[in-house]
Amino acid sequence: MDFSWSEQQRELLDAVSRFGREQLNYDVIENDRNAVFNHEAWKKCGEFGIQGLLVPPEYGGLGQDPLTTVAALERLGYACKDNGLLFSINAHMWTAVIPLVFNGTETQKRKYLPGLCNGSLIGGNAMSEPNSGSDAFALATTATRQGDKYLLNGSKIFCTNGPIADLLVVFANVDKSRGQDGITAFVVEKGTPGFDPSHKIEKMGVRTSPMAEVFFENCEVPAENLLGKEGGGAFLFTRSMTWERGCILASAVGSMQRLLEKCIRYANERKQGGHSIGKYQLVATKLVDMKLRVESARHMLYHYGWLAGHRKAVYLEAAMTKLYLADAWVKCAEDAIQIHGGYGYMTEYEVERELRDAIGAKLYSGTSEIQRNIIASLIGL
Amino acid sequence: MKILVTFKSVPDPYESAAPGGSPATAKSVINPFDEIAIEEALRIRERGEATEIVGLTIGPAAVEEQVRAAIAMGLDRAIRIDDSRALDPYAIARILRAVVAKEAPEVVLMGKQAVDDDSNQVGQMLAGLLGWPQATFISKIEFLQNQTRARCTRETDAGLEIIEIPFPAIVTTDLRLNEPRYVSLPGLMKARKKPIEVQSCDDLGLKVEPRTKVVATERPPKRSAGVRVETVEELVAKLKEEARVI
Repeated sequence: MDFSWSEQQRELLDAVSRFGREQLNYDVIENDRNAVFNHEAWKKCGEFGIQGLLVPPEYGGLGQDPLTTVAALERLGYACKDNGLLFSINAHMWTAVIPLVFNGTETQKRKYLPGLCNGSLIGGNAMSEPNSGSDAFALATTATRQGDKYLLNGSKIFCTNGPIADLLVVFANVDKSRGQDGITAFVVEKGTPGFDPSHKIEKMGVRTSPMAEVFFENCEVPAENLLGKEGGGAFLFTRSMTWERGCILASAVGSMQRLLEKCIRYANERKQGGHSIGKYQLVATKLVDMKLRVESARHMLYHYGWLAGHRKAVYLEAAMTKLYLADAWVKCAEDAIQIHGGYGYMTEYEVERELRDAIGAKLYSGTSEIQRNIIASLIGL
Repeated sequence: MKILVTFKSVPDPYESAAPGGSPATAKSVINPFDEIAIEEALRIRERGEATEIVGLTIGPAAVEEQVRAAIAMGLDRAIRIDDSRALDPYAIARILRAVVAKEAPEVVLMGKQAVDDDSNQVGQMLAGLLGWPQATFISKIEFLQNQTRARCTRETDAGLEIIEIPFPAIVTTDLRLNEPRYVSLPGLMKARKKPIEVQSCDDLGLKVEPRTKVVATERPPKRSAGVRVETVEELVAKLKEEARVI
């Protein structure tokens, strides 16, 4: 296992750092306050090459391996303070791009992937339902075949990118009697009759990433938009979910590193009782623990990336990475507020937003409890 | 119309300003003023007023990362003069003159100065060595009369000065000329496939010896905290006696 970067990787990673630092950090406080998605920054990321990092070059991507990809997203998370934008990019990459790369037909890949890579198309998925979250495969949305199309009926909740998406990967059951073997994935395009993703949901953190409740009422999806096989949805979902768990918090590792540096700077500058507060052991201990958390989080992330790139089974590692990184991020952000004292609680200092942004990490892509269940079952319990 | 645009690798000013950062450990980047020069050359070519942009830098193999970044921005070709010595402005100007003689560009575009040594001499010296007109510190450039002259707006302490110069000419760029484009990852990957032409002073038939030596590099002294004065008289007295600025 080798995490030393080649010259090409280093150049790529440096370019990402610089791009993120110089191009993406404007209006972040206002956009968070008003829950506004930064479309321009999304387009820039696409043109720069972020969304296509993992996609083979023949479909408009850069064909990078998983380790380079997570390291690039880590750099982006360090450089760019708009965690909501990064959350939208992650949802797009793991829940729309990855299923198309692995399960799309040649026609589907040629039709969607170049636009999904270059920033002109926004994707996401629609899986969770009001009554099926952690019990994902109990979904109630149905798909009924009628000639050369399917009719979708039902509703989905917590659909990241829903209000702005050009296409969603939607999961519905074609035959409830088959249970999980009836679950099927479809590509549903914006503007399809009977498809309504316009109901925005207000939320605590990653507020610059729009989320919707989505309704399907006799929504007509052409049969050629079937993604994978009929009944293959559960497998497809599990595969994309494994990628998502392993990679979605790569940018959080960068965010943690940024918080750590911000706290060290503050602990050296802020003087109380004649000393910089970093000289007090209670503050120093927090920072040392934060450093340990960032380093161990990074190692877990790279380890996952390396394994995923070497075609090893990564189901367990993905769950562990997701669980550990989410906890570490929340703890980092919480300690960062504590170190900044009252200032850390104020919007202007841009620390409190990090905590609000971090907390969702314990819920999306499977709650921390679900990750623990997965790990428990894989270690023989 | 051929433009030669020169650029230097400098320590990343952002990183060396970071806590714990120093010019010695910072990553290198293209000198920001030179990046503006490259951007302007690209815009001139995009307007159809130039057909070829050749990039030129001086440095060891390690600076090829910045050369590739420049190619990724859009250079047609890039030349690196292989020399790892700390060269003074005159030595650099002599090397540039030799390359200009070979490449015969109509315009040499360069940053007004490098942000590491802040010499601000190479453009002027090169103009002097070549006997070409120069427009320094420009914030705007327009090509006139079928690309035979340029009208340049210069930023001077006294205000904006507008001058016209005939080609061939040396033009040095100021901060407000443009905002350089960012290098995309696909651009960077394509740039890897373009060869960089490497030459030495010997190839150019030059014997160049640095005429200055950097003895030491030190950080600027730390600024001490300000003091509050009670009266205008006290302020004037302090400005006169302590600061000695009036």
